[in-house]
Amino acid sequence: MGVTCSLLIGCSGALSVVDPAGPAARTISTLWWVMLAGAAAILGMVLVLLGAAFRAKEIGDADETAGIKVWIVGLGLVFSMSVLAALTVYGLHVGHRLMPRAGADVVAVSAEARQWNWRFAYDNRPGHTTDGVLHIPAGRPVDVAITSLDVVHSFWVPRLAGKLDAIPGHVNTLRIEADMPGSYQGLSAEYNGPGYRMHVFTVKAHDAEAWDAFVSGAEQ
Amino acid sequence: MTALRRHRKLTAIWASEPGWKGWTSSVNHSDLGRMFLVTAFFFFLVGGILAMLIRAQLATPHSAFVDAGAFAQFFTMHGTIMMFLFAIPTFEGLAIYLLPKMLGTRDLAFPRLTAYGYWCYAFGGSMLLIALVLGIAPDGGWFMYPPLTGPLHSPGINTDFWLIGITFVEISAICAAVELTVSILKYRAPGMSLDKMPIFAWYALVTALMILTGFPPLILGSVLLEVERAFGWPFFQADLGGDSLLWQHLFWLFGHPEVYIIFLPAAGVISTIIPVMARTTLLGYGWIVASAVALAFLSFGLWVHHMFTTGIPLMGLAFFSAASTLVAVPTGVQVFAWIGTLWKGRPELHLPMLHILGFFFTFVIGGLTGVMVAVVPFDWQTHDTAFITAHLHYVLFGGFVFPILAGIYYWLPLFTGRKRFFRLGEMAFGLIFVGFHGTFLAMHWVGLMGQRRRIETYDAETGWGVINLISSISSFVMAIGLAMVLVDVLIHAFVAVRGGRNPWKAGTLEWASMSPPPAYNFASLPHVVSRDPFHADPGLPNRLAKGEGYLGGPKANRRETLTVDIATGRPDFMVIYPGNTRLPIVMAAVTGLFFLSILLKLFWLTPLALAGVAALALVWVWRLGAQVDAGPQDAGRGAILPLAGETTKSPGWWGSVFLLAANGTFFGSLLFGYAFLWTVAPGWPPAEWLTPSLAELGIGIAAALSAALAMRFAIRSNCRSARPMTALVAAFGATVIAILTFAMLLSRVPPPDGHAYAATLCVLCAYALAHALLVSLMLSFVIARVLRGYTSAARAAELHIVSLWTDYLAVITILSLLAAHLPGMLA
Amino acid sequence: MRDILRLLLPPLVWLASFSAIYGLHGVGCALRWPEISHQEVSLFRFALLSAWFAAILMQVALLFALHRDRFKAGSAFMQWTSLATGWVGLVAVLWTLYPVAVITACGAYG
Repeated sequence: MGVTCSLLIGCSGALSVVDPAGPAARTISTLWWVMLAGAAAILGMVLVLLGAAFRAKEIGDADETAGIKVWIVGLGLVFSMSVLAALTVYGLHVGHRLMPRAGADVVAVSAEARQWNWRFAYDNRPGHTTDGVLHIPAGRPVDVAITSLDVVHSFWVPRLAGKLDAIPGHVNTLRIEADMPGSYQGLSAEYNGPGYRMHVFTVKAHDAEAWDAFVSGAEQ
Repeated sequence: MTALRRHRKLTAIWASEPGWKGWTSSVNHSDLGRMFLVTAFFFFLVGGILAMLIRAQLATPHSAFVDAGAFAQFFTMHGTIMMFLFAIPTFEGLAIYLLPKMLGTRDLAFPRLTAYGYWCYAFGGSMLLIALVLGIAPDGGWFMYPPLTGPLHSPGINTDFWLIGITFVEISAICAAVELTVSILKYRAPGMSLDKMPIFAWYALVTALMILTGFPPLILGSVLLEVERAFGWPFFQADLGGDSLLWQHLFWLFGHPEVYIIFLPAAGVISTIIPVMARTTLLGYGWIVASAVALAFLSFGLWVHHMFTTGIPLMGLAFFSAASTLVAVPTGVQVFAWIGTLWKGRPELHLPMLHILGFFFTFVIGGLTGVMVAVVPFDWQTHDTAFITAHLHYVLFGGFVFPILAGIYYWLPLFTGRKRFFRLGEMAFGLIFVGFHGTFLAMHWVGLMGQRRRIETYDAETGWGVINLISSISSFVMAIGLAMVLVDVLIHAFVAVRGGRNPWKAGTLEWASMSPPPAYNFASLPHVVSRDPFHADPGLPNRLAKGEGYLGGPKANRRETLTVDIATGRPDFMVIYPGNTRLPIVMAAVTGLFFLSILLKLFWLTPLALAGVAALALVWVWRLGAQVDAGPQDAGRGAILPLAGETTKSPGWWGSVFLLAANGTFFGSLLFGYAFLWTVAPGWPPAEWLTPSLAELGIGIAAALSAALAMRFAIRSNCRSARPMTALVAAFGATVIAILTFAMLLSRVPPPDGHAYAATLCVLCAYALAHALLVSLMLSFVIARVLRGYTSAARAAELHIVSLWTDYLAVITILSLLAAHLPGMLA
Repeated sequence: MRDILRLLLPPLVWLASFSAIYGLHGVGCALRWPEISHQEVSLFRFALLSAWFAAILMQVALLFALHRDRFKAGSAFMQWTSLATGWVGLVAVLWTLYPVAVITACGAYG
């Protein structure tokens, strides 16, 4: 699928959903390609059926019952329900897999949004906060506890995982993970006033050594 | 009487005043339907220009065409105008214009209400337009999420324009919905049983019922947010026991059904046009009716799919994800039934059919991407990106604009009585089709590349420049196409040659009227025996013109029609409509004064405006009715019918039933909000509950129940030809006690600006108090009517209407008193 | 009016049960009910499942009632359409609420 992607228009990009750099984003990216293929097939089928209606034909005694059997029961009910049932189950299965779960190697951090800044704190390094940059270890699941001090924002690192809102008075937890050390761009993804466009942040994924240094406060 | 004399006589009775004066006093559905459509397309133009500005700004990276503040006003107003001032009013206009003609009757159920609805729409829309011109338009996005739109983060007047203007416009949607529901159920040609109704009427019925239940949550949300902004009651502030998620729930409880409220009428247009263009009948009429009903209901179980990223537990999301895929099944049934209809017949590629093909291609893609975003994890990635913008335009343009364009070209010969002669429309369709897909197809991709919606510009390094440029250029191609449609329609309306009747050879009744139809639609009303009455009897128009149907003998100055039994279509009673009047426009203006007083914080004016509305409403209803029994009337063809005022279930009764359904949804949403805050919002329980009082609870409930009971006694004694004064006065007294109870309760509630609990409780009590006041007003009215001799054993309609309202008051009194006292008792 | 109500009743019952179970789920998660269990069986899950079965039973009962002479519609068309929406109610209750049987109630951090 990567080949199709580069042939078409290019998938890579610092904010690309289809250029995943972590397990959650990768699962969702696969989901997208599967759905795109299915949708294209269905669209093709509908267009062929539609075009065929305009062919020259004899109109005999239009048999309403047979038409209902084929078009409404066959295509409308049986076909759509089977496709949709499969998709619903697949989608929920994927969603279930992406849920944050307790585990020994899970790192907990928190993200606090306000107009127009992100402040991050770390369970492994109490008292330390960073503005605009979130440090995480690469290759380990990270649970981000997200909240807001003023309006609704949304925490989104497209190459790592889906987004989750920062809502005043609530704490939402999102599981992210980066395969490799590196920098990943993050965005606020719910309109939050005139500073919306520049309300961005960076996720820095460190290798084990650098992460240990960060946690112990030695990296400065 | 010859057909021509009958025509002259009926025209004299039904015509609006000539010239521009007629616009302000007309209550005729054809006039008002046209006014709705013209105004709606004016707003389409404004919304379209805003879209052009948005696309101009996004065409290239680092564009400095407008700043972030202006851009925010553009995208907010573009969405708001297209949803509330274009799409819904277009449906209303089309349905108001067409339905009486399709159903074989002379007007809608409540002509003055049609006019009132139109003026509320025109005035409310103007408020938003003024805000736009002055540069103080709403700027929080069309779904207006607090706290961003709350008093702390948006102190300006911008948001107030949205909350107040849109609520004002929604009055017109509710009016139209009540009107259309009653009209479709009762105001049909005799013989038109439910299974012989034109399919468009079924769709309009379902849509109207959806407006009645879909709009109240948004009206409630707007009221709460405006109260928070004006008086500091913290419904949406987390630190004072409120929750911004409550707005999202209320908004999308409306917002998702809204999508189907927009799509279903368009589906009705498609279901009407396709069989005519294919020279056959609709495949699976019953299946389509069942699908429309299923779609309507399922669409109320989807609202949380706009909130997949708000942190609701996965099982909660899963319900809505499943419901969102299921809703595609009835949609699929309809799409395949339409294709099957084309297979069954021999489709011809006239201009309306081209737009229908545009619909198929566009809407199927929109539906498929819709199923994609119904899958929770995928939505986590695409939510609030350009992918969603692209998806929703595929659904709304494909599912509404293409079908409506098809509908305009289909019914244009009826509207104008003329024939198209330029081929401008075909070229326009090509430009619109290519332009639309060029604009939005690529937008899916740029969304996946991470472009958020609502950003005013972007960096060149993102690589989004080319896609956005294609998108912007295409959008201008689409705009040129739409402008050509406008020119085409204007040419058609003013200079084209006269055309014959029924150019498409359709079978529905609107074509059996003249083109353009006269003010009275039909000189006499047909007796319908098939779903395509015009096909069944090609000589129908002449026979109707000759007065061979019902009500063929016009009586001096009486605008007459008749109603039918809902299921069977047997004639039920006769209706005499009120004539031309400026009461609706005056009442809409005074209603506007009420909204203005809140917008400009002129609170001294508020009670005056409300009193004005109440006084005008009393004049409004006082003008109906009679002081003598008229007895059974001859409706022609052997039908002897009573007058509406001499029945128990009059049009006003039916209207009240559906208005109360909407009202009940509003109240239900309020109770939901109360329960939601209690269980989900942070900062609960509040510092103090209302001190419960068994006496207050008991007296209030007893009073409301007594009023409802007394009303029943009044009806019974009226039936026995006795004047029901004692019972009416008792009902009035009991209602006054209910008023006092709620006034007392309101005075005991903790300060509403301190905690969302007290604020919600205050709104609940104020709602009940307002209804108790309203019912007391109605009872005084009925007492005056009894004293003036407007009632008799036969003329009991008004008593039955008021009884509905006393019953409703009893229900809400019990529920709101329990909601007020129980938490304190349990604590 | 009875014909219209008969047509609308099954999906209306679906909407009511759907909202009620969503509400029950929301309240349960907010009040941390999943933590209460009895002999390895989560009482919360049990409550959700019971509510779901009750909703299914209601739809089945409605379908049966539609076949009874007492509740039949006046015309064949309305009877057929009412049965169709009856089936819509049943399918909807099965389809939209099946997550109560398979998904973790509130999540690890519920």
